[in-house]
Amino acid sequence: MVVLAILLPAVFGTLLLLGLPRALGVWGAGLSFLLNLYLFLAHPGGVAFGVQAPLLPGAGVYWALGLDGLSALFFLTIGLTVFLGALVAKVEGRFLGLALLMEALLLGLFAARDLLVFYLFFEAALIPSLLMLFFYGGERRLKAIYTFLLFTLAGSLPMLAAILAVKALGGSPTFLLEDLLAHPVKGQAAFWVFLGFALAFAIKTPLFPVHAWLPLFHQENHPSGLADALGTLYKVGVFAFFRFAIPMAPEGFYELQGLLLFLAAISALYGAWVAFSAKDFKTLLAYAGVSHMGVAAFGVFSGTPEGALGGLYLLAASGVYTGGLFLLAGRLYERTHTLEIGRYRGLAASAPGLAALALFLFLAMVGLPGLSGFPGEFLTLLGAYKASPWLAALAFLSVIAGAAYALTAFQKVFWEEGSREVEDLRGPEWSFAALAVAALLLMGVFPGYFLDGLRPLAEAFAKLLGGGA
Amino acid sequence: MTLLVLGAFSVALTLLGFLVSVPVFKRLTILGLSLALLTLLFSWGQPFAFGPYQVDGISQVFTLLALLGALWTVGLVRTRRFEFYLLVLYAALGMHLLASTKNLILMLVALEALSLPLYALATWRRGEGLEAALKYFLLGALAAAFFLYGTALHYGATGSLLAGTPGEGPLYALALGLLLVGLGFKVALAPFHFWTPDVYQGSPTPVVLFMATGVKAAAFAALLRVVAPGAPEALSLLIALSVLIGNLAALTQKEAKRLLAYSSIAHAGYMALALYTGNLEALGFYLLTYVLATGLAFAVLSEVSPDRVPLERLKGLFHRDPLLGLALFVAALSLLGLPPLGGFWGKYLVFTEAAKVGQWGLLILALLTSVVSAYYYLSLGLAVFQKGEAAAAPRPLARGVALLAALALLLLGFLPGIVLPALAQGG
Repeated sequence: MVVLAILLPAVFGTLLLLGLPRALGVWGAGLSFLLNLYLFLAHPGGVAFGVQAPLLPGAGVYWALGLDGLSALFFLTIGLTVFLGALVAKVEGRFLGLALLMEALLLGLFAARDLLVFYLFFEAALIPSLLMLFFYGGERRLKAIYTFLLFTLAGSLPMLAAILAVKALGGSPTFLLEDLLAHPVKGQAAFWVFLGFALAFAIKTPLFPVHAWLPLFHQENHPSGLADALGTLYKVGVFAFFRFAIPMAPEGFYELQGLLLFLAAISALYGAWVAFSAKDFKTLLAYAGVSHMGVAAFGVFSGTPEGALGGLYLLAASGVYTGGLFLLAGRLYERTHTLEIGRYRGLAASAPGLAALALFLFLAMVGLPGLSGFPGEFLTLLGAYKASPWLAALAFLSVIAGAAYALTAFQKVFWEEGSREVEDLRGPEWSFAALAVAALLLMGVFPGYFLDGLRPLAEAFAKLLGGGA
Repeated sequence: MTLLVLGAFSVALTLLGFLVSVPVFKRLTILGLSLALLTLLFSWGQPFAFGPYQVDGISQVFTLLALLGALWTVGLVRTRRFEFYLLVLYAALGMHLLASTKNLILMLVALEALSLPLYALATWRRGEGLEAALKYFLLGALAAAFFLYGTALHYGATGSLLAGTPGEGPLYALALGLLLVGLGFKVALAPFHFWTPDVYQGSPTPVVLFMATGVKAAAFAALLRVVAPGAPEALSLLIALSVLIGNLAALTQKEAKRLLAYSSIAHAGYMALALYTGNLEALGFYLLTYVLATGLAFAVLSEVSPDRVPLERLKGLFHRDPLLGLALFVAALSLLGLPPLGGFWGKYLVFTEAAKVGQWGLLILALLTSVVSAYYYLSLGLAVFQKGEAAAAPRPLARGVALLAALALLLLGFLPGIVLPALAQGG
């Protein structure tokens, strides 16, 4: 089943790249979403729907894919976000094809049960991401590409060294997740191994000060927001810390925990600060993303079950609302041909539906109770407070700042005096709005339903670290 | 058998060259190389020995790669002189022999047998190619002298002419060092790489393809036999220099063949990491993906122009011919070692070998330089998508082979396991 879920978007993506019409891609994204929804609903707990076949048996590498509660949740949010993007982003078929290919690789990344398979997908997702930027990006795209690529590779090649070391030094017979978890690296080596992983994942979180690739990446991507939404989903650092880096070398994590908590807090605050002064819609969202990921990372680094649970939930939820906001920015760009926040003014009068959708998305981002951002932030706060009250206080200043930048931006765009008239939601945009709002509400009102699958994992994680309950 | 087929065709074709027309001659050459390939595949995994000529795992794997390179070259070249094909055939014979012996004297003979045709091929285009070829010849002769001197000392130190004889003492170390110099020249390990950029740039592209694939494969077979049992200290220095010089110098190149020349120096450095353990699987797989990717890159370049190819001239290739553009993109990414392409597993395997013997310093250096290499491989790979007026008049066959090679790289990226058992056989 997992293989089918990964291959489905890959096949549709390839067909679109070969020149088939865009409508087929929308169907592909829709089917993929439904399949992922089914996988999520039918998920029995534990690791399900898996496959395992030798890849390099001599070296202990297996094609091992499977869904645990965490992967199932991400399958759902990725499927949803990509479907939303396919519905509204007015892009040519090949662009959507690249997006679907990227979706397939991201799904693979979340389903990987073998460290090298994870690495394979982690790196491979870079290629469609770069190609989208290259073919459909803005004027400074080459600079954005090189920045993005060098940052990513500067992280992922030390990670390759860490991968080699984790098996060699930990004594695990294979790269399978279970085997590696049973043979964590110990002693001084753990520090270096963890550092190798940490660098790669910090870049993909992104944590301050290695976030520098992100703003340019978003500014230069196609204004439709489709590539940005996928870029948001590609920020898998928090997940990777939780699933791979920390459990494989807990001793190394202890040594760096203080620093990481500090960096996460700084990222949260710094992102919010810059977002507040951003003049351009996408820059605002990029830095808001840095801020939110800082909070999520803080939760995981706290080593408590609540913190990890909250951080992961926030990561999953932010894929939908940040992705949704990027797509919304794309809708605005199509109507006004600008992304400058100061130049919209008073759009709510002529486009109430658009304003309402934006309000939902912004409020979810702010973490209003009842919407999808809240449970994650709340749980993170709970866990973070246990780990380090002072730093937690610092990090959660960003939540207040979040309200400030998000609501200011909303006010400027939709309410401020102005006579700019734009068209309201139309056609598929209504489905986009309905689906997005439904998801935000469901994830906000019934978080327990989504969190059930994560809970055992978060508890095992905290137990491994010897903290929490 | 392979030796017989290659030898028989070489001799027969030398005589026939004056009698039959060039297109027929070309087909006969391809027939000879294909037959050699087939006999090789049919006897896969079966060792065979006749005096110092020994067919074993190493011989089979590296001969296969060299023959692939030779076939590709013959298929690509557009020339009206039969000597070209004949020289490639001679060189292929030399390569097979070099890969199939442990005897140092025979190795030297084979080394010369493959080098002499290449010196001639490098001068195929008169004019600017001449200077490069002269450099290649003079340095090559020097390297052969080093190899011979190393052989003598090896005999003095161990009383044996067989590569891989264990020994000790300064004399033995010196002998290994000299042999390493001689072979390091052929595989373009720094600091014996000075000929590479000039020769790659000055020679016709199909010849360069042959040098970059076949010669490297054959010379690595010899290196594996000479160096692997007890890699001398100096090897680390050569590797470090190669990956540094190759990758850093490639950064500033504006001409595709020169860029790939530096890239090939860097790759020689990466491959040499496998010499520490002498693991045939790792080195063989790396070379396989390297031969496919480099061959593919040069094949695309030769369709664009048989001459120099500044990166500017590649711009727009994708719009002109999507298949060739994509193929070059895939080749560049595989050389960079980005998953999910075959090159990644190659790098993974040789890096594992380095980790096994605890060469962490070299490993980290290799990884860091791989990051640097992203810049120039991407310049090469993305150039094809940019706006421009690339001209290309590819022939159907060339496009078909390019498609095959690109698909093979993808396949090896997802299922590297399918070829490893075959590579491991007899190793």
